[in-house]
Amino acid sequence: MPNQNQIANPQTGQLPQVKGPQMNDRDFMNDCLSTCKYLADSLNVAVWEASHQQLHQDFLQILNETHQSAREAYELMFRKGWYKLEAAEQQKLQQANQQFSGYSTQFPYH
Amino acid sequence: MPTIMSSTPFTQAPIPQPPRVITSKDLSYLKDALSWELDAFKKLHFFAQQATDPEVKQCLDKAGRMHQQHYQKLLTHLQHNNAAVMATIPQTQSQQQQPQMQ
Repeated sequence: MPNQNQIANPQTGQLPQVKGPQMNDRDFMNDCLSTCKYLADSLNVAVWEASHQQLHQDFLQILNETHQSAREAYELMFRKGWYKLEAAEQQKLQQANQQFSGYSTQFPYH
Repeated sequence: MPTIMSSTPFTQAPIPQPPRVITSKDLSYLKDALSWELDAFKKLHFFAQQATDPEVKQCLDKAGRMHQQHYQKLLTHLQHNNAAVMATIPQTQSQQQQPQMQ
């Protein structure tokens, strides 16, 4: 029985029928994403630590563009069916909502 | 310039904001980011050549070009004249007493 909570496209990406040690298109895209992730982590620290305004702005813009580019890569991979998503169970969503709504007694701003 | 009593601290207008100087810490982060950007766009250029799907090719190529642009943007910060800016920064007394570093 198929998982009802699963969200995925059929795999349309051109991958070899028998996967060998050679890098394929999906591997290239995965590497593209992990490279962006690593860069974004370093850039984020640089944004925090930059001494003057112009450098801060440039690091922040580069970080932002890196995020956008990674997002595009991820969306392409999703279209190609290389990413599976799983919806959380409705009951667990409701439980969490109840739990965190209950914390409103702790809110200092009204 | 009138002499000021040595017991009181030297008073002057505060520097309003961090000046446009590349600090040694900035330089470390710039070098780190430049190294990774270079690695990223060389790799993505290679991947784009190897990929078979045209959409994948285009995506990798676009990402590679972006990283090269980022490299060029970061590089401009290394072409900054630190010495010229530092010449305009008022030196505090404790700094003035230190030997000038070149």
